[in-house]
Amino acid sequence: MPEKIGVYIDESCLGPVLQAGALAEFVKGRFGKEVSVVRSHPRLNTPDGQKLIQADIDAGDVDAVCICSTSPRYDSDIFTFTGNVLVDRVNFREFIAKGYKNPDGSVLKTGDALPEELKLMAEDYLKMGILKLTKMDHPAPEIPDGTKTILVLGGGWTGLNAALSAATAGFDVVLVEKDAQLGGKALNLYKSFPLSAPWTDTEDTGIEKLVQAVQANAKITVKLGKTLEKLDGAPGMYIATIGGEDVAVGSVVLATGWDPISTKYLEPLGYGKIKNVVTSAEFEKLAKQGLGAKRVAFIADVAVCVEAGLKEEAAKAEAELAAAEAAKDAPKEEGEEKVFVFKDLESCKHLCYSSELNSLAALKQAGYVADAGGMGLIFYDHMMVPGINERYYKAAQDKPGVMLTKGTISGIREEGGGLVLLAQDTLLGESIEVAVDMVVLPTGIVPTTAHGPVMNFTYRQGPAFPELELFNGFADSNYICFPYETRRTGVYAAGCVRQPMTMATARDDAQGAVLKAIQCISSLNRGMAVHPRSGDKSYPKFNFVRCTQCKRCTEECPFGALDDDPKGTPMPNPTRCRRCGTCMGACPERVISFDNYNVDMIGTMVKCIEVPPKIDQGGPRAIILACENDAYPALDMAAMRGTRWSPYVRIIPVRCLGSVNTIWIADAMSKGTDGVLLLGCKYGEDYQCHFVKGSELCNRRMVNVADSLKRLGVEPERVVQQQVAIDDYAEAPRIIDEFMDYILKLGPNPFKGY
Amino acid sequence: MSNPVRIQPDLQFVKDLQEVGGDTLKRCYQCATCSVACPISPAENPYPRKEMIWAQWGLKDKLVNDIDIWLCHNCGTCSDLCPRGAKPGDLLAALRNMAYRKVAEPAVVGEWMSSAKYLPLLIAIPAVIWLIIWIIRAGFLGTYFPLFALGADGHSWEVVKEGGKVVFGGLFPGDFTIDPIFTATFLFMVYTFYKGVKRLIASFDVPKTFAIAGAPNPSILVALKETVLCEIASHSKWKQCGEETEGDQQKFTGHLTLMYSFVALMIVTGVIAGAHWGGNILRWLTGASLGILDFFGHTPLNLWNPIKLLAIVGAVLFVYGIAKLTTRRLNQNAKKHGSSWYDWYLVGLIWTVGLSGIFSMLLRLANVPLLAYPMYYVHLVSVWMLFAYLPWSKLGHLVYRTAALTYARHIGRIPMQTKEEKTFVL
Repeated sequence: MPEKIGVYIDESCLGPVLQAGALAEFVKGRFGKEVSVVRSHPRLNTPDGQKLIQADIDAGDVDAVCICSTSPRYDSDIFTFTGNVLVDRVNFREFIAKGYKNPDGSVLKTGDALPEELKLMAEDYLKMGILKLTKMDHPAPEIPDGTKTILVLGGGWTGLNAALSAATAGFDVVLVEKDAQLGGKALNLYKSFPLSAPWTDTEDTGIEKLVQAVQANAKITVKLGKTLEKLDGAPGMYIATIGGEDVAVGSVVLATGWDPISTKYLEPLGYGKIKNVVTSAEFEKLAKQGLGAKRVAFIADVAVCVEAGLKEEAAKAEAELAAAEAAKDAPKEEGEEKVFVFKDLESCKHLCYSSELNSLAALKQAGYVADAGGMGLIFYDHMMVPGINERYYKAAQDKPGVMLTKGTISGIREEGGGLVLLAQDTLLGESIEVAVDMVVLPTGIVPTTAHGPVMNFTYRQGPAFPELELFNGFADSNYICFPYETRRTGVYAAGCVRQPMTMATARDDAQGAVLKAIQCISSLNRGMAVHPRSGDKSYPKFNFVRCTQCKRCTEECPFGALDDDPKGTPMPNPTRCRRCGTCMGACPERVISFDNYNVDMIGTMVKCIEVPPKIDQGGPRAIILACENDAYPALDMAAMRGTRWSPYVRIIPVRCLGSVNTIWIADAMSKGTDGVLLLGCKYGEDYQCHFVKGSELCNRRMVNVADSLKRLGVEPERVVQQQVAIDDYAEAPRIIDEFMDYILKLGPNPFKGY
Repeated sequence: MSNPVRIQPDLQFVKDLQEVGGDTLKRCYQCATCSVACPISPAENPYPRKEMIWAQWGLKDKLVNDIDIWLCHNCGTCSDLCPRGAKPGDLLAALRNMAYRKVAEPAVVGEWMSSAKYLPLLIAIPAVIWLIIWIIRAGFLGTYFPLFALGADGHSWEVVKEGGKVVFGGLFPGDFTIDPIFTATFLFMVYTFYKGVKRLIASFDVPKTFAIAGAPNPSILVALKETVLCEIASHSKWKQCGEETEGDQQKFTGHLTLMYSFVALMIVTGVIAGAHWGGNILRWLTGASLGILDFFGHTPLNLWNPIKLLAIVGAVLFVYGIAKLTTRRLNQNAKKHGSSWYDWYLVGLIWTVGLSGIFSMLLRLANVPLLAYPMYYVHLVSVWMLFAYLPWSKLGHLVYRTAALTYARHIGRIPMQTKEEKTFVL
C-alpha cells in the first residue's frame, strides 16, 4: 500500500476555468495523510514534466504517483518512471476539459465563473484517482519454470510451415502427424493457386521439399502415426500425451487441418448417380495423371446442395428437440455426473464457407483443361477471390479456354455418352443447356475440430474448445485483429482448422500462430499476461478461507483457467489466465482480487463520489462502468472530436464488464446514485468482447441484481447495460445523454439523502 | 420456365475474335460499367456487356446476328471506364471487322483483308493491271515517260519530243483504260455491297416487336432519310458520345472533314465523268461539241476551273482529316484502346491515295515526267484498292453501318430522332 502519494496536475488539461491551485488545496485538505506532494505543471506530458515527477521519486518523497493529465491511453511512453512506484492516471483532458458541458448544454469559455458541477466533477475524479492508489499494491507474479518446446499438431502444409518457423526462431518443436507420412492434403494436389508474386500462375506446391526440410531439421522431433491423447497442465507447463508417451511442452500450434465434406451433401448435383460427375479432389488426381476430357464444367454454385442440406438439418433439429422434450419428463437421477459428449458439427454450411476456395479451385482446374487445349466452363454463384487472388482470377480468366458465367445449376443429365448441364439465370440467357464430357463439383472444408475434440484437454471445462458450434466447428477466434487466438491460452490455431484458406494464406497463418506461441512462452516466463492484457503482471488471488465452493468462477472463466479439486475449491492456473477479472465479477463472496484491481478498490471509488442530497439541487448522479478495451477509448475519441456529455456522470474504467461485481451496483444505489450505466462490448453470436464472454455474463448477472435491488426498494431499471464498439465514438456521448434523460424521468433514487 | 437454349461454345471463334482486334475480351467480368456508361446504348438489352460474354464463350450464332455492333460509334467511353481493361469498344470494332470479313463474297477477299501478310497480294493485283497498261501504252507511244501537246482536233494528245507537258490522260487514256476499269470495279463493288447488305440484314436476329409505344414502325425509306440527314450528315451520335477530350475532338473533326472531302471528290469525279462522256456522246451523235462540256470534261482542268478548285479543296481537306484521325490514333492510351490491322490498313491507304493524288498534280505542274508518272501510277493502284476492296475493308462501314442503322430504326431498335430520348426527371 502506498503511503506517500504524489499528485501532479497538468495545467494544460484543465479547460478554461478550472484552477490548478484550487484543486491542489482541495487535495491537501482532503488527503493530508495519504498525499505527500501536490504539484502542478503547465504541460505535464513532456520530458520536463516527466523529470519533475522522477525527481520526487528519486528523492524518496513519493511511492505512488497520481497523474492528472491526458487519458491513460496516451503518453504512457512519457509517464514511465524508474524505481518502485505505482502509477495511476486521472483522465482530466478527455473527461473534464474536453468532455464537460454545462447542464444546459453550453460550453465554457475563458473568463466564465467556475460552475459547481465542474468543480464537483474534478474533485470526484481526483478522489477516485487517489483512493484507487491507496487500494493498490505491486503485483508479485510467480514465475513458472516453464519449458520452451512448441508442440505443432498436424504435419500438413500449415503444420510443416509452423514447425519450420518455430525451429528457425530457435525453439524446439515436437511435430505430431496422425498419418504415416508427412505432407497431408497437399500431397494430392497437382498444382496450387499462386504461392508468391506475381500471384498470377498456378505453382507446384513444393510439399516434398518442405517435408525434407522438416525431416532434416535437428530441432524438430517428428512423431508419425500418432495423435495428441491428452493435454494436461497449463501454458509453459503442459504435459502432452502422444502415443502413450508424455512430452513437456510450452505452447501449442493447432494445425490439424480439415476433412472434405461427406459426398452425401453433393448428391443433389448428381454425385454418385451420374457417371463422370466427380469432386474437385477426384478431378485433381485425374489432372495429375493427364486429362482426357475436352469439355469440362466446373460448378462453384452450391445452392441446390445447401437447400437440401438445410432442410435435412432442420428436420434433424426438430427431431432432437422432440426427443429432448420427451427426456425432460423422464425422472432424473440425483447427482448424476455430466458426461462429456462431443457433438459432430459437420454441416452443409461448410460448402458455403468454402466458397472462396471453390471459386479458386474452379479457376485453377478449368485452367488445367484449357492448357490441354480443351474448354473449362465455370458456373458460379459468386466468384469469390478476395485480396491478392484477384490477380490470379484475372490471369486465369484470360485463357481463351476458360469460360465463366454466373448461373444456378438446375440439372445434369446423361445424353449420348456425355453429359448435359442445365443452368438458370445465367449471363448467357435465362435458361441454357450445354453439352460437356465431365462435371466437377465443389467441396466443403470441414475442420477437424468439427469431428472430434482433437486437443483432449484435461481441463475442468472439457476436452474440446468451448462453443465451437458458434463457428460450425472452426477453431476461430472471431476477431479480425487476433486471428490465432483460441479460448484456451497457449493454443494457437492456424490454417484450415480455423478458417478455409489458400495455401499461401495458411503459410502466413502458420508463422503468425508460431509467433503467438513464442510470445506466450516468453510472456509467462516473465510472469506477464498474454493478449489482450499483454504485459500485465497482476493475477487473481484467492482468499480460500471464505470460499464456499460455489464453482461459479470455475464455470464462468472464459478461458478454462480454473480447475477444481474434488471438493469444488478452485485451483488456479496462472499461466492459463488472461487477467480479465471475470472470476472476480462472478464471486458472490468476493474472495478473488488482483493487486492492482479489486472489489474493494472500485467499491471505494464508487462510494467516494459526492451525491447531492436532492436531485434539483446539484443534479442527479450516475456511474458509468466502462470497458477499458472499447467503450473507454470510444469516449476518449468522442471527446477529442469535440463531443461532450452530461456533467452528472462519473466514468470508472473496468477490465471487462465480466469483472463487474454486483456489490458495486448495490454500493452505488445505497449511496443515492440515481443510475448505473454499464458500457461494454457486443455480446451474443457476433460477440466483440475481448474476453469473449464478459459482457454476456455481465448482462446475465444484472438479471440477478434486479432481484436484490427490488428487495432494497430501488427500481432495477436504474441499471442499464449498453453495447458500444470502439468505433462508436459518435454514439457513445449520445448514449450517455439519453441515459441521463431517462434517469431524470425515473426521478431521484429513493435512498438519496440517507 | 422457358425452354432451355442449347449453347455451343466455340473456342476457335474466341481466338479468331482475339486476332481481329478483340485480344482483351477475356478480361471482362461482367460488371456492366460499359453498358451503363454508353451514352447511346438502348435501355433494353444494352450493349456491349452482352457481347462481351458472348465473345468469351465463343457464341458465334449470337454475335454474327447481332445488330447492336453497328449501333456503336466507337467513342471509347466504355473502354476508358472498364475496370479490367477489357476494351469493350475494341471488341465491337473487332466484331465489325469480323463482319467485313464474312459478309461480302467472295469470302477469300475477306480473308486477304484480315491480315497484313496478304497485303503484297492485294497491292499486286492493281499493280500488275496498271503496269500492263503502262507497258502496252509505252509500246504505242514509244516511251514510258511521254510528253504531250494537244492534237489538231483540240481533243487528242500527241507525243512530242520538245516543249510538251506531262498529261496523265495521254499515257492512261480515260476512255479506254481508266474509265472502263474503274466503271467495272465500281459496278462490281456496288453488286458486292448489294449482296452483302442483303445478307447482313437477313442475319440480324432482332425481334420484330421493338415497335415504340403504339406508333407504327417507320418505313425503310423514312428510316434511311432519318439516318442520313439526322445522323450521318451531322455526326450527331458522336456529339452524344462526348467531345470532352482532345482525342474526341480530333476524331469528330477528322472524320467529318474526311467524309465531306470524299463527298467533294465524288462530286468532282461525277461532274468530270458526266461532262466528259456527255461531250463524247454528243460528238459521236452530232459531231458537234459543247463548250461547257469541254470546260468541265476535258482533263487536265485549268487551275481556276471551279471543279478543279473543288478538287484541290477536297484534297486538302482529305489530308487534313486523315491527319487528325491518325494523330488521335497514335496518341491513344494503348492500355485502354487498341488499333487493329483493319484500322491501319485504311489509314495507310487513305494517306497513299491523298498524298499520291496531290503529288501527282504538283509533279505534273512541275512537268517532271520521271516522277509524275510513277506517282500517278501509285495513285491509280491505291484508288483501285480503295474501291475494289471496299466491301471487305473498314471503309465498308459507310454502307453496312448506314444499312444497319436504317434497319435498326425501321424495326425500332433505335428511336427516330423525333422520339423522346432517355429523360431523367428529378
